[in-house]
Amino acid sequence: MRPIDERRAQQKRYKEDVEREGKPFYPFAMFHDTVMSLIVVAVIIGLSVIWKVTVPGDAGEEGYGTEPGWIGPLYSEPADPGTTSFTPRPDWYFYFLFYLLRIFKWPESVILGTVGIPTILLVILIMLPFLDLRRERRLSRRPVAITALIVTAISMGVLTYKGATAKEALASEVVAEVPKWVAEQGLPPEAEPGARLFAGVGCVACHTYLGTGSSSLGAPDLTEVGARRQGGVDGFVAFLKNPPAPMIQFANLPDDDLRKIAIFLDASKGPKDE
Amino acid sequence: MPPLPRQKSTRRKQIETMALYPLAWLEERSGLVGAVKYFLFRKVPRDVGWPQTLGSATLTAFLVQAVTGVILAMYYKPHPDTAYESIQKITNEVTLGWLVRGMHRWGASVMIILLFFHMARVFLYGAYKYPRELNWIVGVLLLALTLFEGLTGYLLPWDETGYWATVVAININGTAPILGPFIVNVLQGGAEIGEDTLSRFYSLHMLVAPGGIFALIGLHLYLVIRLGVSSPPWSDEAAGREREPEPPGSGRSGLTQPGPRGAAK
Repeated sequence: MRPIDERRAQQKRYKEDVEREGKPFYPFAMFHDTVMSLIVVAVIIGLSVIWKVTVPGDAGEEGYGTEPGWIGPLYSEPADPGTTSFTPRPDWYFYFLFYLLRIFKWPESVILGTVGIPTILLVILIMLPFLDLRRERRLSRRPVAITALIVTAISMGVLTYKGATAKEALASEVVAEVPKWVAEQGLPPEAEPGARLFAGVGCVACHTYLGTGSSSLGAPDLTEVGARRQGGVDGFVAFLKNPPAPMIQFANLPDDDLRKIAIFLDASKGPKDE
Repeated sequence: MPPLPRQKSTRRKQIETMALYPLAWLEERSGLVGAVKYFLFRKVPRDVGWPQTLGSATLTAFLVQAVTGVILAMYYKPHPDTAYESIQKITNEVTLGWLVRGMHRWGASVMIILLFFHMARVFLYGAYKYPRELNWIVGVLLLALTLFEGLTGYLLPWDETGYWATVVAININGTAPILGPFIVNVLQGGAEIGEDTLSRFYSLHMLVAPGGIFALIGLHLYLVIRLGVSSPPWSDEAAGREREPEPPGSGRSGLTQPGPRGAAK
């Protein structure tokens, strides 16, 4: 028998078995569905109550709702495109993608993390019924499928956990590092205001500088960026105003500040030799 | 003498006909009553149990999103100058507004968790195999649309978290080869993230994506009803299980007495 004929015969047998041995959807399966749906609604309401009740403070107070309770704040501060000191963070179900982006480095492989892997995963998911053409449904005879499921579940769990616990450096802590940078990098005095801005506006939410900061979105280490790029201060200003994706545009910062940051970056040529 | 079947009085018959008239009217003109009856009283395999409720649980979570979303849309003002304020008002002033917004916010998470569990159940049961391949694909599209709902909804409160997460999300899409700048343009609606972006996300979040989800859920359910629900593959009484072929000439089954269950058909 051809494989397709076997499948058709099985589906025919399935339909006959259901007709002969099955139970009506109402009331049997519907009972389970109803109970489960009630649980779902109850859980959603429960989460909402915990969310609202555990947030500290009273409605009407200044800044009420922005402090997290047990499961997060009601909202964060109002959006301010002018300050970039905020650490970008998606909702929890995107953490696995968010953390994936730390594994890849700009510019060579970051596209793999941003577009490549998600696209490949989506295509594999869609194609799954055509990749696995066997009729076998028993778990004990589908070792590849079970392995794939376990590996996927574990890696998504680990990436979500890593994304949730990833610590970004706080701007205030990073600013305290500036004197160390000046000393170790041998920065000229005119680069120091730029260093403070660099530390304060959130560059280190993605970039690393002398071991401080993160490597989100594949952002490169900027310790020696002044030696790497030859465009001079003007080149850095132009870059900051219109950087290549996925870097955030800094066009909202005043030109004066951009220039200070550019001077600092241009002066960053790596730790001076002892 | 056996008792005669109870006769209904003419009057009782008339009352019944009158009471059921609206249903009869509807059935004659649409067939919908028959369709609902078919849906409710269709048979499912007898070993269907709790794991198979994950799909309908996801649907319930989606309906919670639809209802709370409609209510939120009545109070929410999609403009950078007013959005944050309207969210504060919903959360702190509108009667039970915090509950509606909380249910929408947490319902999203619950729906996504249920979607993944439902998907894992279908995968474990091998229920994506013939003849249900198309329904698996519809399900993957539903997953993508649901994640897209999460992405677009995150910006709407216009707070720091949502704003900067969206900046990054749009920049991530910008890295796509060839299509990148086009996607950024469509999502952002301007040189930077601003009022046009918010309008677009609002429209995508409450018209485009939910419309697609409703339509695909309809197709998903139609296919479930048409193809049937899978039995657990390890069940001894799984519908469609393999049978030992009857050895030829074994006994008289089928000739003078009924054979094993079903063989007499």
